[in-house]
Amino acid sequence: MTVETTRNLEALAAQAQTLMSVFTKAGYEAVAPSIIQPADVFLDVIGESLRARTYVFTDQDGAELCLRPDITVPTCRLHLERHADPATTARYCYNGPAFRFQPQGATASHPREFRQAGIERFGDKAREAAEAETVAIVVKAIEKVGLKDWTLKLGDLGLFSSVLDAADVSPNWKKRLDDAFLKPLSFRNALKDFASAARVESPGVPEELLSAVRRDEWEKSEAAVAVYLEENAIELLGTRSLADITEHLMVIAEDRQEKPLDASAIELIERYVGVTGPATTAGEKIAALLKGAKNGAGAALETYDRRLALLANAGIDLSRVTFSAEFGRTLAYYSGLVFEVNSSCLDAKSPIANGGRYDGLMRVAGAQVEVPAVGAAIHSERLLAATVKGAQ
Amino acid sequence: MSKLTLAIPSKGRLMEQTTDMFARAGLVVRKVGHVRGYRGEIDGLPDIDVAYVSSGEIAAALKAGSVHLGITGEDLIRENISDAATRIRFLQALGFGFADVIVAVPACWVDVATVHDLEDIALPFRRLHGRWPRVATKYVNLTRRFFGSKGFGDYRIIESAGATEGAPAAGMAELIVDITTTGETLRANGLKILDDGVILKSQANLCASNAAAWTPEFEKICAELTAKLSASVPAKAASRA
Repeated sequence: MTVETTRNLEALAAQAQTLMSVFTKAGYEAVAPSIIQPADVFLDVIGESLRARTYVFTDQDGAELCLRPDITVPTCRLHLERHADPATTARYCYNGPAFRFQPQGATASHPREFRQAGIERFGDKAREAAEAETVAIVVKAIEKVGLKDWTLKLGDLGLFSSVLDAADVSPNWKKRLDDAFLKPLSFRNALKDFASAARVESPGVPEELLSAVRRDEWEKSEAAVAVYLEENAIELLGTRSLADITEHLMVIAEDRQEKPLDASAIELIERYVGVTGPATTAGEKIAALLKGAKNGAGAALETYDRRLALLANAGIDLSRVTFSAEFGRTLAYYSGLVFEVNSSCLDAKSPIANGGRYDGLMRVAGAQVEVPAVGAAIHSERLLAATVKGAQ
Repeated sequence: MSKLTLAIPSKGRLMEQTTDMFARAGLVVRKVGHVRGYRGEIDGLPDIDVAYVSSGEIAAALKAGSVHLGITGEDLIRENISDAATRIRFLQALGFGFADVIVAVPACWVDVATVHDLEDIALPFRRLHGRWPRVATKYVNLTRRFFGSKGFGDYRIIESAGATEGAPAAGMAELIVDITTTGETLRANGLKILDDGVILKSQANLCASNAAAWTPEFEKICAELTAKLSASVPAKAASRA
């Protein structure tokens, strides 16, 4: 474990002060959510994969708690505590410790205890404007600290949905591919499954049931499943109801009826996923791809172009901006724009800042509705390392 | 002179089977001193010090290197030592203590036969019930590694110390990862094993710790013990390992 030197501590404190002053001047209220958080919210948002990276513990009362692995979820919870209406607009900024277990062992660029300085904004209806402003403030803060050499990488998880529309993918396949997009491994399988006749075989699922269920005959279908269980002396137990099971059998049966994804749609999807490069030319690449698509480009590219224009207006030098269609797929809770700031002083796997849109998160944190949310966090130790290195 | 230490299970069926196995190999293990004590020795192998350790702790002792050798289930080694391949040498599968670590779901889930199907129901389940499906298990690490290797991450682990098979019926979890030998308990609790749900086929193993202090003399004694034990392991069990 790295023992911190006083000099580092002072440098980090000074840096945090600079970052926070940029944030507060821009109208973000400084908050300090609890370091110890209920584990539930985090594990429910991100699933079991994050548990391996989170310090989870049980307190003397048996409550499952964690040391916050980031400050975004705690800020959502703070917002919910303050406002009965979660859609109330608000802007928060923070600076404080976060904790992550490092499976390869803690290092200087991947410490287990680090400081995050960040901003979160909730309830903004002007989506692209809020996104561009968030990016611009983070870049401004980083430059104010003294880092000159930075690059910005963008991704857009919403754009994929539009690509599917353009490719004229059926609603069923679209929903499934959209769900699978965030998980690269299952996504590849899904593409393969939906494209081939292989999905017609559902090994292990009783054939007679698949032919017995029909959506337009719901009650009859459910009864057929009940009879099957009874005849095979299988007890219905657990959380999933007869309706849950019948519904999924229907999905399997419907998948078999559905026309396989056609080759042109698959090619479009695969070529889109492969798009990467300078943000300005990436837009052109996507436009060229979608031009040949069945339903044309639609609104997808308008959003993309508007966002770039807004970034340029906010003073971001677009020649430093790249786009990758794949980027953001494994970043847990993001739902639209995703971005990260890198510096050539550090390796590409150690971004200095990252953020994006996460409209679904407030709901997981306890709100009854989705709330527009954009935010970003700066990794303080990395920013300091890059700034020091850049000044040498 | 310090001796080579061998940890064997201190009670229960694993201890009996270990003692039987040693007897078949012509080795008599006996306790030293008080009958309730936790030290022992093997007739004919005077350079081995036997430590009776609860089977759950043998993995930890091997990991730390506080014993040279240990007899315990492969499941416990793999669960408790994340880098077992570098820390532990599996010297000999012993042909008892068979247990499969498996993924089991309610048998009434006629729509779910594989991990892939689990993945398909996870998101609809969450939309309906507001959380990911829960997996009751004491094999937290094996579960995470197994599902991780299949790209499945949409679940919550509920740590379960015992009677895990009852968790789905009790509404404590949706599915389980547990050990089974005949599948009898699973069936009695209305559960079925997924078609691709065998995580590990485990049995008792003689294991060596790479973290312990080894001398050429210890290596020689260890080889002698391994040879004696392997001669009395049924061929079928040995090939299973």
